[in-house]
Amino acid sequence: MNNVYIAGAAVHPFGKHKTLSAATLGVSAAAALLADTGVTPDAIQAGFVGSVYGGSLIAQRILQRVGVSGQPVFTVENACASGGSAANLAWQGVAAGVYDCVLVVGVENLSAFGGGTLPLTTADIEIDQGVVMPATYAMRAQRYLHETGATVADLTNVAVKNRSNGALNPRAHLRKAVTAEEVEASRPVADPFNLFHCCPNSDGAAAVLLCSEAFAKQLGRPTARIRASVVRSGQFHTSYRDMTWPDITDRTASAAYEMSGIAPADLDLVELHDAFAIAEFLHAEALGLTERGKAYRAVADGEFAIGGRVAVSPSGGLLSRGHPVGATGVTQLAEAYWQLIGTAGDIQVPNAQVALTHTTGGGIFGVDNGACSIHILTAED
Amino acid sequence: MRNETAPTGVATRVVAAEYFTHGDDGVHLRITECRNCSSRWFPPGAICSRCAGTNLTDVNSGTTGVAYASTVVRVGPPGFPAPYVLSYVDIDGVRVLAHTEGDSALTPDTPVALTLGEVGNEDGTPLVSYVARAISDGVGIQTEGDR
Ligand SMILES: [Zn+2]
Repeated sequence: MNNVYIAGAAVHPFGKHKTLSAATLGVSAAAALLADTGVTPDAIQAGFVGSVYGGSLIAQRILQRVGVSGQPVFTVENACASGGSAANLAWQGVAAGVYDCVLVVGVENLSAFGGGTLPLTTADIEIDQGVVMPATYAMRAQRYLHETGATVADLTNVAVKNRSNGALNPRAHLRKAVTAEEVEASRPVADPFNLFHCCPNSDGAAAVLLCSEAFAKQLGRPTARIRASVVRSGQFHTSYRDMTWPDITDRTASAAYEMSGIAPADLDLVELHDAFAIAEFLHAEALGLTERGKAYRAVADGEFAIGGRVAVSPSGGLLSRGHPVGATGVTQLAEAYWQLIGTAGDIQVPNAQVALTHTTGGGIFGVDNGACSIHILTAED
Repeated sequence: MRNETAPTGVATRVVAAEYFTHGDDGVHLRITECRNCSSRWFPPGAICSRCAGTNLTDVNSGTTGVAYASTVVRVGPPGFPAPYVLSYVDIDGVRVLAHTEGDSALTPDTPVALTLGEVGNEDGTPLVSYVARAISDGVGIQTEGDR
């Protein structure tokens, strides 16, 4: 396989953009990427756009407006992993030598759906019983607390840490740090979660440029190398399931570590899919960042802070940066890219050399999650 | 879903009506078991989702299980006035999400019985389905249902 690089990134800042359609947000990010890199649309050989609610042909509706018109383009839907899956398909194309330069966009406008929990559009037996996404994660949290001895205060620590990071990220949706008292006083959503234990529904878009070594050299821009790109789907069954162990993250991460030859201990930063505070514990353990049942202690001890042993979600994570579903996987790659080329500003992880990005999600019954994507990236000298 | 009229004369709608039976002893889930690989499935199906085999047999669950985890939903979707309690119930080889009686979450591993109860309300019509109820002091424990 050929080496694959990220050679540019752009984000339309996340937030509530009621007056901007998903297509408009995507155009904004894609245009900024082309302007920033100086790559002309005719050099883009293919486009992959991750989106869940963007509608038919969102890839065309975005890319044709920035001159990427006529090339093969694809709309990729894989729930919360849509953006990561779009990047994976682009990576496959460059790694296989089919393309030298591919544009990846992730985009979502959730304001179009009003407030409250996200619409679950995939009818199943749990949705018929009134399940909502926070309820499923709340039950995972209850079981985790029951088995490990962690408390609600530990969940609150995650929200406080990630909101504190996001307050320094100009691209984040929620840019105000919160105290533990404010988290505990926020509106109850599903016990043991209050509102600030849950990520906000956001609008936004992100874009990254994936290219071959030859193209990257010619472009002469700072690059980060993609060492692993892996997608896995959930394993369906309706039997008993250990909900404190996200096996989909475990399986995806194992494949990514094997592909890259990189171990969890090598990571300087991780952008993790913390849709709910409990997710940082579950996935940090499945990613091998700590021993099982110990992630809550790692957070309490500052190991996951910027400047800690491994920075987890220095960009603020979903809890602060927000979660425009299809955009999340691509914005994680953008944030990791800026960390690795040393331009992350106030959220820069000191001497960041190795980064992992992780998205997982999809609220369908019978699986841990519907889809998971993981990328491992390294800095270039 | 099935429209029914309760003994009280109130029209109700049964959620997941084709997936369970209920009698004097409580609710029995309709499970299918694969004769090829022994996987158990709820809701029941004609194809095994592990081995794709089509040689499946029906199993009726018992009426009691154990709550794996539980939560109080404070913000619900249309048709489900919050707050309400949901639990994952482990019963005879399958895990089922069920509304739960009471106003607080069940402690993990609490034994529960499945009964028929109201789970929601759609434009004034009560929605009924299987509901978990905590068993105290072993009262109401049933043995596994007919195979
Ligand atoms: Zn089978």
